[in-house]
Parts: sequence; structure tokens; C-alpha cells
Amino acid sequence: MNITQILFWFLSVVALFSALMVITNKNPVYSVLWLIVTFFAISGHYILLNAQFLAIVNIIVYAGAIMVLFLFVIMLMNLNKETEPQKNRWLRMAGAVAGGCLLLVLVAALKDTDIKQQQAMVNGGSIGLIKNLGKELFTTYVVPFEISSILFLSAMVGAVVIGKKE
Amino acid sequence: MPINYYIFLSIALFAIGIVGVLTRRNAIIIFMCIELMLNAVNLLLVAFSKMHHLKAVAIDAASTAGTDGQLFVFFIMVVAAAEVTVGLAIIVMLYRNIHSVDVNFLNRLKH
Amino acid sequence: MIYFLQTNINTTDASSYLPVALQVAFAVGLVIFLTVVTHLLGPKRKTSDKLQNFASGIESHGDARQPMAIKYFLTAILFVLFDVEVIFFYPYAVNFKGLGWDGFWAVLMFVGFFLCGFTYILKKGALKWED
Repeated sequence: MNITQILFWFLSVVALFSALMVITNKNPVYSVLWLIVTFFAISGHYILLNAQFLAIVNIIVYAGAIMVLFLFVIMLMNLNKETEPQKNRWLRMAGAVAGGCLLLVLVAALKDTDIKQQQAMVNGGSIGLIKNLGKELFTTYVVPFEISSILFLSAMVGAVVIGKKE
Repeated sequence: MPINYYIFLSIALFAIGIVGVLTRRNAIIIFMCIELMLNAVNLLLVAFSKMHHLKAVAIDAASTAGTDGQLFVFFIMVVAAAEVTVGLAIIVMLYRNIHSVDVNFLNRLKH
Repeated sequence: MIYFLQTNINTTDASSYLPVALQVAFAVGLVIFLTVVTHLLGPKRKTSDKLQNFASGIESHGDARQPMAIKYFLTAILFVLFDVEVIFFYPYAVNFKGLGWDGFWAVLMFVGFFLCGFTYILKKGALKWED
């Protein structure tokens, strides 16, 4: 087992464990903090796959901005363990069984595909570097880039219209 | 790394997100679980792009195949940010009106 | 380990992140180590007075997590949108020379749309801190 495999297993265990903690924790604040750990583990996976730009974007956008916003909203509403609404036990169990069935079906369907002989390139390849991605983004994908700015314009207008108290 | 490790890791993260959506009643936690599912899909897309790249490099060493997959992930992240802002604004306004983020109280559209 | 740190000058593969990984491991390890050591070495006197939060001598009351006014929330939301705008500038900055005027006009249009949104926000008074 070389160092790449050790890192892969370590990051996978961290990601899965913290994702489980997100959904099992009663306190919403702890859920947010565990989700940040999950995002850092996924960023570690990106670095392992040498998608360096996406790793940084994942940390800046998700862990840095979106999760802080979630934490802010939870503190804004003063949600904590006592006010956390709970589903009844049978509904929760049914949800867990349904999710487990989906996991089982997907794993069973993909267990014997031809694709499993393929390898993903780790620790090499230059497509994930910011220079190559930027070149492609501003030449081939310049129209989606402009459209995303229109999307942001509409998101701004939407947030202001919904959020501004008259 | 074999690609199927990444496939199974992503499926597991996605299933955890689904279970979270189905078992929780707090609208914010449900929203967070949707973000988790988006991230599982992103991880799989990056892994597939690197798989594609490895095959292309074996034929032509200077190939840039797989860049579009990573750009797709970048756009998913960017759109997710826009979606989160509007979604959280809606949740905050719901909280302002009904003083709860329990999704069971949000069934008024049914009646 | 020292060998890797000294020989690695190729910045295009993931192993060039080894110094970053070491730094993260050191930071996390130090925090865990210090927390555990203070718990092990520090004296324990668990009286009710000792366990109370320190609030400058006055009697402590209420929760530390006070709910904030909702009007601050809009500022946080708009911060996220402009944060993502800046993300788009990193790939442009790296390719600034190579892209030339075409890239410049594309980015100018992008910034123009954001400026439209920004003027809308200012006109609506969404960033006004005091009511």
C-alpha cells in the first residue's frame, strides 16, 4: 500500500464518517461543522486527483462562504438542540431503509460493469491546473461564463426582493 | 486509483445525503444534505474526467481531454452558490412568517 | 520525508502539496495535543462556581447564542455572490497575457452585469446598515 492509497482511504473514511455525523447530530450547529469537515475531505480528494483549482474553489466557495452563511442563518434563528424538530421513529426508520435500498441497488448495478478495470489518474496530469482550466474557460466556454453572470444578476435581484423587508 | 473506488465512495455520500433529506425535518439540514449530494456528484465527475484524461494521454501525450469535465464541476459549484443564496433567503423569510423551519408546517400549498 | 521536501520542485502534480499537508497536520496535531495535555495535566476542581462562564464578575445569564436581527442576513447573502465573482478572476489573472483583448471584453461584460446588480442593490438600499 503506497502513500496515495493510504491517503485515499483516510480521506474516504473521514468524508463518510463526517457525512454520517451531519445527518445524525441533533444540534444543527454541529451538523454544519461536520459538513465543513466533509468538504475539506472532498477537497483532499480533489488534490489527490490533481484538480488543484477545484480543490481551492471548493474550500473558498463551499467551506468559506456557503457554510458560513448556513451557520449565520442557524445562529440568526437561534436553532439549537431543544428547538430541533424531530420526525417520529417509524418515519425516520423508513427514510433510512429507503436510502439504504437506493445504496444497495446502485452498488449492485455498478458492481460488475466493464468500467471497473479503468483507472483514474492520480497525482499527475495537468488538466486540473488553473492555467489550463482558465484557457478553456475563456475561449471555448466563454458563453456559459457570461450566462453565469446573468444568473448571478438574477440571484442578486431574487435575494434582495425576497429578503428586503418593506 | 481504480475508478470503481470513486464510484462507490460517491454513491455512499449520495445515499447519506438522501437519508438525511428523508429523515430530518429541519429545512436547513435538508438543504445541507442537498449540498452534500451535489458534492458527491462533483467528486465523481472529477474522477471520471481524470479517467478520461488517462486514456487520452496514452494515445497523445499533449492531450487536454477531460478539461471540460472539470469546468462542468466548476460551473456546478458556481450555480450552487447562487442557488444557496436564493434558497436561504426563502428559508429566512419562511422563518420570519411562521417562526419555524420545520418542513411539516410548510404544507399550506396542499390546501 | 526530508528527501521529498528537498527534491520536489515539480509544481504540477499533487505531491507538491506535501508541505501544505505537513502544515495542516502540524496545525491540527498541535491543537489536539494541547487540548489533551491541558485536560491531563491541569488541576480539576469541579465546583459550580468554577464551572460557570466568566462574565466580568456579574452573574451570567442567558445563552451565548443570541439571535441576530434578520437585516444583517442580506449582507451575508450578497457577500457570497460577490465572493464567487472573485473566484472567476483567478483563472483570468493567470491567463491575462495569453487571452488578450477577447478575454478582456468577456471579463468586462461579466463585471458589467455584476455592476448592474450592484447598482440595483444600492438603489434598493439593501446594504443600508441602519434603518
